[in-house]
Amino acid sequence: MTPDPDDLRGRLRRAGELLREFYEGRHRGALARSRRDEDDLFMLLVLSETMGIPNPASYYTLELLPLLYDRFHEWHLRMGMEHSPLEGFRCC
Amino acid sequence: MTPSSSFPGFLREPGGPRILFIGGKGGVGKTTTASALALELARSGRRCLLVSTDPAHSLGDVFGIRLGPRPKRLREGLLAMELDPDEEVGRYLDQVRENMQGLVRPAMYHEIERQLELSRQAPGAVEAATMDRISRLMAQATGPTSRGREWDVLVFDTAPTGHTLRLLALPEIMAAWTEGLLRRRDRSDAWGRALERLSGGRAGERAGEGDELSYIDEVGSERPSDDDRSHRIREVLLERRRSFTRARRLLLDPAMTAFIWVLIPEKLPILESEKAVHTLAEHRVPVVGMVVNRVLPAGELGAFLEARRAQEEAYLARIGESFAQIPRVHVPLLARDVEGVETLERIGRILMGDETTAPPPT
Repeated sequence: MTPDPDDLRGRLRRAGELLREFYEGRHRGALARSRRDEDDLFMLLVLSETMGIPNPASYYTLELLPLLYDRFHEWHLRMGMEHSPLEGFRCC
Repeated sequence: MTPSSSFPGFLREPGGPRILFIGGKGGVGKTTTASALALELARSGRRCLLVSTDPAHSLGDVFGIRLGPRPKRLREGLLAMELDPDEEVGRYLDQVRENMQGLVRPAMYHEIERQLELSRQAPGAVEAATMDRISRLMAQATGPTSRGREWDVLVFDTAPTGHTLRLLALPEIMAAWTEGLLRRRDRSDAWGRALERLSGGRAGERAGEGDELSYIDEVGSERPSDDDRSHRIREVLLERRRSFTRARRLLLDPAMTAFIWVLIPEKLPILESEKAVHTLAEHRVPVVGMVVNRVLPAGELGAFLEARRAQEEAYLARIGESFAQIPRVHVPLLARDVEGVETLERIGRILMGDETTAPPPT
């Protein structure tokens, strides 16, 4: 029985994707983690005043708060804290 | 002793600096000087907006009129206002609130609202709001007149020394901070782009197949709106940086801004002025003139005041040494408090050298 060429192409493509997944998967994870760490650091810098670290620009970074609220919530959940660890900064 | 000179004439010329800061220790006569100068400039055809930035305003008192945070016309070519930091903070918070719509889940409004109300009382908020207003006024001063601006020159009657110097240092500190935050954004975005390249743009295709994307789990709450969010964060920071950089550039531009220092020939004001003018020089802020206020008038004064005069001469000599490069003008001690436009106009003439000697007080 001769294999259907379309089916063969499909299978090859699938194999290619799997290989790609195998090689790239790890790197993707690493990149995503780096970005996440960078974003966490950014968020904590903006919120530094709330943690008792003087922030000369805290007044001006107020306008960033609405953009960071979701991320903050996601961060403390990811860090294994059910509720916001910051006094005076509650998101849930 | 060096005779008192006058202010550089270019202050009065149409092409002269558009932003004047009057600074000095508390109680040496900043408000009087600012008012007299503004009147004199208005008289010579440069329309002035006189702005008091000191939280303890006394500008209105000098003119015997009630002033507020909106410019009020005092006479032809002269507007005046007293900044109200609380109002500025309120306006800013309103703006943050407005921007919040559509970015935050309504369930969080209450929490953010609480946060904003706390910030109203935060240390530094008043200062930051004043700074913000000053830099916006400065930006306006350089813009085209056509946009409803009814003045050519901004004259700032600033708060006592410490505050003034702080105002000068702030743009730098703020710019450094924003810069740092922007760098963090750059790095985050760079990781994001690398991630996208690695996914080979096939993310969408595969998502269409209903696949669960492993890296989405990795990033946690990566949602489509995240790129938009990142973009807006960047915009906010860039706008801040732009405004700080602009204020700083204007402040250091001798063609645009001039700083005038006021002091009296007494020990403490001299010591403070030496420090302050040194700091201004370090920041390369152009100090174009100095007002030595309340110098004892010429003529017979009696034993008591003659004793004071002997001391004053030593102080004047020190002022001459310490500030040799800065044009100075002496304003005599007057018999009465400065009150009313007439006295101010006379001081204005003395400042510009139109009235060289101090006639005996009336």
